[in-house]
Amino acid sequence: MRFLFIGTALVAWEAAARSGLWNRILFPSLVNIGQELVLFFTRSASLMEVWTSLYRALGGFALAAAVGIFLGILMGRSKTVAGLLDPLFSGTYAVPKLALFPIFIFVFGIGSLSKVALVFLECLYPIVIMSYAGARSVNRVWLWSAQNMGASRADLLRRVVVPATAPFIFAGFRVAVPVAMIVVVITEMVSSADGLGYLVIYSLSSLRTDRMLAVVVVIALLGYALDKAVVLARDRLIYWEKLDTYYV
Amino acid sequence: MAVLRASLLIAVLALWQLASLAGLPDFILSPVQIIAYFVQALGSAELYENIRASLTRSLPGFALGTLAGAALGLAAGTARGFDRMFSPAVFLTYPVPKIVMLPIFMLWFGIGDLSKVLIIALACFYPVFINAYYGVRATPKILVWSAQNMGASPAAIFRRVVVPSAAPMIFAGMRVSLALSFIVMFAAEMINARSGLGYMIRIAENSLRFDLMYVSLLAIAILGYAGDRLVRYAHRRLLVWHEQPA
Repeated sequence: MRFLFIGTALVAWEAAARSGLWNRILFPSLVNIGQELVLFFTRSASLMEVWTSLYRALGGFALAAAVGIFLGILMGRSKTVAGLLDPLFSGTYAVPKLALFPIFIFVFGIGSLSKVALVFLECLYPIVIMSYAGARSVNRVWLWSAQNMGASRADLLRRVVVPATAPFIFAGFRVAVPVAMIVVVITEMVSSADGLGYLVIYSLSSLRTDRMLAVVVVIALLGYALDKAVVLARDRLIYWEKLDTYYV
Repeated sequence: MAVLRASLLIAVLALWQLASLAGLPDFILSPVQIIAYFVQALGSAELYENIRASLTRSLPGFALGTLAGAALGLAAGTARGFDRMFSPAVFLTYPVPKIVMLPIFMLWFGIGDLSKVLIIALACFYPVFINAYYGVRATPKILVWSAQNMGASPAAIFRRVVVPSAAPMIFAGMRVSLALSFIVMFAAEMINARSGLGYMIRIAENSLRFDLMYVSLLAIAILGYAGDRLVRYAHRRLLVWHEQPA
């Protein structure tokens, strides 16, 4: 029952591929895609491409996490900082930062740095906005109790504010991880000579759609695995709060 | 606070302007130059033509994706059978960057606008679906029970209790989708298009027309900002009972 829909979709695909109504380039058979997938995982060259994309995505994400948590908690605990930065973040939230990419290419070069910088910028927003929301809504009673029991400001931050914000930080991470993958793939599709996004475009231009779909499957698996990793880390670190909607 | 904010903004812009006087590389224009070029571009037809091309891709895609997402999300949140069948497929594919489907969409639906509209719709579908789904499931049981007690039919409960209670979440999803629709539109136009803001920035980059690059950047920024304001305005007007988060 759970996989009924997915199963039907796959069967329909294979039927479309074998019916002969469409060209094999439009609907490559699942068997061919599977073969290409096996080929992909047995070649060290293609595994290097996975690593290239992964390190761009994770590099930008890690930078955004470090800066974003810091800024978010600072905004949540200081009215002045919030007043200065909140209009900036909420005002430019809906602006596609991707448009900066051509300028980033000139500033940071055409290699990995411009891509990491763009991933950083795109991931920064969800992380800052979520940790700001979390740090702002820390239960006052907890803060008062801790102060009453003589906690210093550093203790207050480390023992009350950060743990109370942590679920929100992870909710931000869960938004940011797919964003990191999107940005890496797009930038590699637009301008790159390596990485998974490049491989997609390259296989398309050589009309090897079976190979292209194999790469799409790899990207999908990667995105799924990264999301699962964040959920796993969240459940280990925040054992006192269960994940009951998708994000929080 | 407002004074502090404004003075900070002015200070940054002034510093930028001063730095450009001292000599910045060619690809970083000064704020005054950017505004001058933008005003100049506002007088030409080229900018409007590209904005129109971009919006005819992003808006239908956004509308299609959010409508489908809201409808199916509400359905999956209410009907258990449909939920069991359909939701796993959505949650499984949610973390996948949808833009990778663009090449295959181009093969199926042609390299024209249809493939771009559909890829934007696909990207916009997910956040709205997930938010509508959890919005329905978070409906306070007591509201449903009260309505049942007062003799409301299932259809009436759905329309008068479940949908209004899920609506704030759906709007939150739409805000995310709107931002996504501009990203995907821009990406699709950079990868393959003959018009639109993404195409404009691509051409500007290739011909080293930095003025056009900044004009296109500013135009997309204004569009994104205006769209976001519009969604928030609609949220405020339609959901008067719900206090909107900042």
